[in-house]
Amino acid sequence: MNLGRDDRTRRSERVGESLTWLCGGALAFNLLMIVAVIGFIGYRGLDYFWQGRVALCRLEDGRRLLGEISGREERPPTPGKTLEMTGRLQLRVGNRDVTGAGFVWIDDDQIAEISYPEDALLLERLEWGHFYGRAVELRRGDEVLARGPDEVWRAFGPLHEEKVARREAIERLERGEIGDINFEIERLRLAGKRLARRDLSPDERALQEAAIAHETKEREAQYQVLADRLFEERESLAEEQLVMETADGERNAIAVGEIVRAVRPNAMSLLDRAGLYLGRVREFVWDDPRESNTEGGIFPAIFGTVLMVFIMSIAVVPLGVLAALYLREYAKQGVLVRTVRIAVNNLAGVPSIVFGVFGLGFFVYLVGGSIDRLFYPDALPTPTYGTGGILWASLTLALLTVPVVIVATEEGLAAVPRGTREGSLALGATKFETIRRVVLPAAAPGILTGMILAMARAAGEVAPLMIVGMVKLAPTLPLDHHFPFVHLERKFMHLGFHIYDVGFQSPNVEATTPLVFATALLLVLVVTLMNVAAIVVRNRLRRKYASSAI
Amino acid sequence: MSVVPEDASPSRLVDARRWSLNGATARRLRADRIARWTVSAGGLLIIASILGILVFILMEVWPLLSGATVRVARIVSLPSASLLTLLADEHRTFVAGLDTAGSLTVLRVEDGEIVLRQPLIPPADPAARSEHPSAGSAEAGATPLTLLDLSSQPTRGIVSASTSDGRVAIGRVRWPVTFDAQDRVTTPGIDPPVVVPLDPSGGPVAVHAVHLGEEGATVAGQLESGALAVLRRSSRENLLTGEITESIVRGEIPLAFRLSCLTMAPDGRRLYGGTADGRLFAWPLSGATLGPPEEARTAGGGITALALLIGGQALVVGEADGALSVWFRVPREDGSYALQRIRDFPPHAAAIRWISSSQRDKGFLAMDARGGMGLYYSTSGRTLWTGEAPVRAPGALAFSPKADAAFVTGEGGLAELSIRNPHPQVSLRALFGRVWYEGYGSPEFVWQSSSASDAFEPKLSLTPLLVGTLKGTLYSLILAIPLAVFGAMYASQFMHPALKNYVKPTIEIMAALPSVVLGFLAGLWLAPRLEQVLPSLLLMLLILPALVLLTGWAVRSLRSRIAARLPVGMEVLPFTVSLAVGIWFCIELSPFLESLAFGGNFPEWLTATTGLAYDQRNAVVVGMAMGFAVIPIIFSISEDAFSNVPQNLVSGSLALGASRWQTVTRVVFPTASPGIFSAVMIGFGRAVGETMIVLMATGNTPIMDWNPFNGFRTLSANIAVEIPEAPRGDTLYRTLFLAALLLFILTFVVNTAAELVRQRLRRRYAQL
Repeated sequence: MNLGRDDRTRRSERVGESLTWLCGGALAFNLLMIVAVIGFIGYRGLDYFWQGRVALCRLEDGRRLLGEISGREERPPTPGKTLEMTGRLQLRVGNRDVTGAGFVWIDDDQIAEISYPEDALLLERLEWGHFYGRAVELRRGDEVLARGPDEVWRAFGPLHEEKVARREAIERLERGEIGDINFEIERLRLAGKRLARRDLSPDERALQEAAIAHETKEREAQYQVLADRLFEERESLAEEQLVMETADGERNAIAVGEIVRAVRPNAMSLLDRAGLYLGRVREFVWDDPRESNTEGGIFPAIFGTVLMVFIMSIAVVPLGVLAALYLREYAKQGVLVRTVRIAVNNLAGVPSIVFGVFGLGFFVYLVGGSIDRLFYPDALPTPTYGTGGILWASLTLALLTVPVVIVATEEGLAAVPRGTREGSLALGATKFETIRRVVLPAAAPGILTGMILAMARAAGEVAPLMIVGMVKLAPTLPLDHHFPFVHLERKFMHLGFHIYDVGFQSPNVEATTPLVFATALLLVLVVTLMNVAAIVVRNRLRRKYASSAI
Repeated sequence: MSVVPEDASPSRLVDARRWSLNGATARRLRADRIARWTVSAGGLLIIASILGILVFILMEVWPLLSGATVRVARIVSLPSASLLTLLADEHRTFVAGLDTAGSLTVLRVEDGEIVLRQPLIPPADPAARSEHPSAGSAEAGATPLTLLDLSSQPTRGIVSASTSDGRVAIGRVRWPVTFDAQDRVTTPGIDPPVVVPLDPSGGPVAVHAVHLGEEGATVAGQLESGALAVLRRSSRENLLTGEITESIVRGEIPLAFRLSCLTMAPDGRRLYGGTADGRLFAWPLSGATLGPPEEARTAGGGITALALLIGGQALVVGEADGALSVWFRVPREDGSYALQRIRDFPPHAAAIRWISSSQRDKGFLAMDARGGMGLYYSTSGRTLWTGEAPVRAPGALAFSPKADAAFVTGEGGLAELSIRNPHPQVSLRALFGRVWYEGYGSPEFVWQSSSASDAFEPKLSLTPLLVGTLKGTLYSLILAIPLAVFGAMYASQFMHPALKNYVKPTIEIMAALPSVVLGFLAGLWLAPRLEQVLPSLLLMLLILPALVLLTGWAVRSLRSRIAARLPVGMEVLPFTVSLAVGIWFCIELSPFLESLAFGGNFPEWLTATTGLAYDQRNAVVVGMAMGFAVIPIIFSISEDAFSNVPQNLVSGSLALGASRWQTVTRVVFPTASPGIFSAVMIGFGRAVGETMIVLMATGNTPIMDWNPFNGFRTLSANIAVEIPEAPRGDTLYRTLFLAALLLFILTFVVNTAAELVRQRLRRRYAQL
């Protein structure tokens, strides 16, 4: 009998151990998932900037395709026939203006030969995306400046540099002076409307109207001059043309000024590639998007996100700290405060879209609408604040994240040892002085944690912002050199929304997916770093008070 | 400096403070008081404003369920005889109607003054006289003939009447609007009337119906002989010669009963009739040919009024006993249609005499013989308002074109009722119950909010969205709960502490991954690939646990020999590796499994064998992505619950000889179970409100089923999709606020419950 009991015990231990392993398996699966997801985003995001080789595929039917191999798909075996896998290659062939499709799929068995010609030239263009081909000649009008791939390549470099400088000058002109004049003209238009509403004597009115009309005319004349100059400059961009030949032998002339970058991927050394990689990263971070967000950089989105999070922090930190101070230091602890605390806590669990709906109804329509009626009646019916904008988005997110700050601050306040407070009070400090000089500094890491967590959450949140102020492409940044410099009513771009928009609303999903991965990587990096920072700060805080609370 | 006196009773302390006051101290105390007030006021304000969110959303939702307000705007006494049928213009400045003398009259609403007046049937109409000697029997000046059945079609500004001499006359009023500087000026005009001889023998036409379109007029009526006659007069202009050719077709079918009402569909393709003994008919009409009717019976003692709602699909039937009902032609299985009573409204006290349908929505006004009025809405089945007509012996009723006013004439003159009726489409039944919509075979739950025209019936059932929300939540929790809870159990009870220090922050990072990134991965990367390797999911369910067990066994048997350096509680590391290998293996094997067991294409096989639809962006994809988002939440909270189980309980159990596993399942788990419950609740709350993942990883089709391979639409995604298009204050806008309110309440209640459970658990731990 004893023996049987031992057996049973042993068996139950065996079973217990196996079940433990299964639990461990669950944990391992979780860890695997997180590592896989982050690793995958990292890999695909970083891969976006890497320039691969350009392959020339000769097909069985004699067609030739030039492009980068961008994917491979295994096809399941057809039932009843073979169990062998077949596959197909995805080739990014670019030349959308010539062929219409940027990508082609080729079955494995169609490919006769793949080679990597040295003189394959990849052009990144302002419009129509990539062009793959071979340079034939460089010409200015009818004059041929260079002929043959290598000669053209040598002549192209300096010429292109000059054109890029000119393009940048045009951009400066557009943004700077022309932008200023447009701004002034708009201001004058509104001044005119304001005048119409004001109670003035007819003479006075006529006088002022004339002044405005005069100024408007002057500005328009200035604008015309600049516009002409702009037109000329633009013309000069198209002066020189690069004649390219596609793999099929079709010739295409591309204006040098339209080319963002030209590379010969197959002739590049590893160092060249690394340089190109860094150049592309720089472009991604600092440049404006092109081709309706599918190419170029994401600077406006980064800028919009940062500015929004910044404005949100300005709103959320004082409010959250104030509320936490009240709850922890001033309010009489009782059922009511406990209830309020639970309510605030649970507010953090309320879906973000609900805050978006609230922000739309309250901030945008109610508050924004009232501001428009009171302060911007001239611009109506075009809403100024009565539409989504960066201010409303920031405030909505502030509401969304204020529970995070309150909870973290309360935790920080609670961790300040009683002895410290009592010491301060015993020295004759008032309660306010104690809080200001002793408690708050000690709780600062807690507040900081809350702020960082709030910022991280705000940076990653998209749903409420879709309702209260993001656009896919904002023509102007919410911050510029026109008074009052920060334009809180403007719409803005956001990294998270950029992912949604480019990934799902773009007509050319295959071409944009890599870009979205890069954007996602950036967002994940920002959010993760913020969270890691919060974790580190919090752990420090805990350690500090664990040692001092003896 | 003896500051503190010896007996330091509180009052003495205050005194002490007072006498040591100097300027600086007073300032400090003042600052302290100000700070106290500021912080308290500010803190309370912030907390109040946070809770004000709920109040604000409630305020936006509230008007949805309020009824209509109807008030008498004015009563003007009419100079002459009362109007017998009514039309109103869009801006409520004029009404038109037929007066008792048979003249088409246009009145200004403001003062009742007659602006235009013209006999509907031209008195000196020699053609008519020669054609119909009976009509000419009365000499000029006297009443030439009697108008028998009067009706109006406010949509087209048409007034019509049938006569005792077999004719039907159609008059049309136009309200052209011009702008004089800033002021709007309406100048009403009357088109030359169209008079159609329906009965060649000149007998009285008791009931009639007309349709006046671009291409001509169609007139129907019951003749003295009982026959139902249709006459269609169309004119066509020859594009080359400009010559207008007029063609007349006439059709007739005999009827064995007398109709009490007749009405024609707005496209002129169908004729509806009712009889005094309660029979209802719908004849198809093509040209002038009537087809065999669909027939139905009512119980209300005879049909006294018929009207079609906008769109011409729904028929409102008023009966002699005051009953009011809406009927549809419902498709039957054999392809034919049947007239079916769809919904009833509270009956009036007397026979329904007048029904006027709105030109804006599916609403209608009804008035009975005693002047009892009601405003109803078909889709929602709502009675929005009931009241008494403000004039005695009412004679006609009209809804204004914008549905913001109604006009009633009677002995007291003309009354204008202004109607504020912002959200008639919504009722609790319409939001959550099955509703029988026009054109549907049975009552259903449908969300379809976009409207292309006024005739469109917005279908605002939140039920499919609620079901979608729960479906997404369910599938994500199916994945998340076991992985998170068992993972947490392992992490807190079995795992090596050194490893734990890394695992917990990793899981926290997992919680911080923006959902838009997860949604993007799920929708754009996972969904198309999952379609290729679906069978591998089934395979993984079997292979992965087996592989874990195998690895565990291998590690244990190896530990005694070589792998002694791997401490207990570090099995997770080899598990990760073996799981990765297992997943890769399953994916590689998937095509073979698919071709062997599922005919080479799982989605096709699924549809062929089970009839389930396969959508690339489906609930499984969402379940995986949202499960990923929910796992860290459930994990963290349940890990806390497990770890906080008092150590003495564990030690006691182990001391009594229980194994580690027994201790965990019999002691730790039951003690921590409330915490796990609250973890699951909070995970549920997160999944319910998640927006971006479902927005991106489902097709967002508001369908209602539990098929894991089909898409759905959740409340939150629905808000994100539709609110940018919803005009402020509109019904859709408020309905979306209601959806937000539901989400708010749902998550708030669930989270509060979880929080309370957790607090109780904490207290219990403290006692143990």
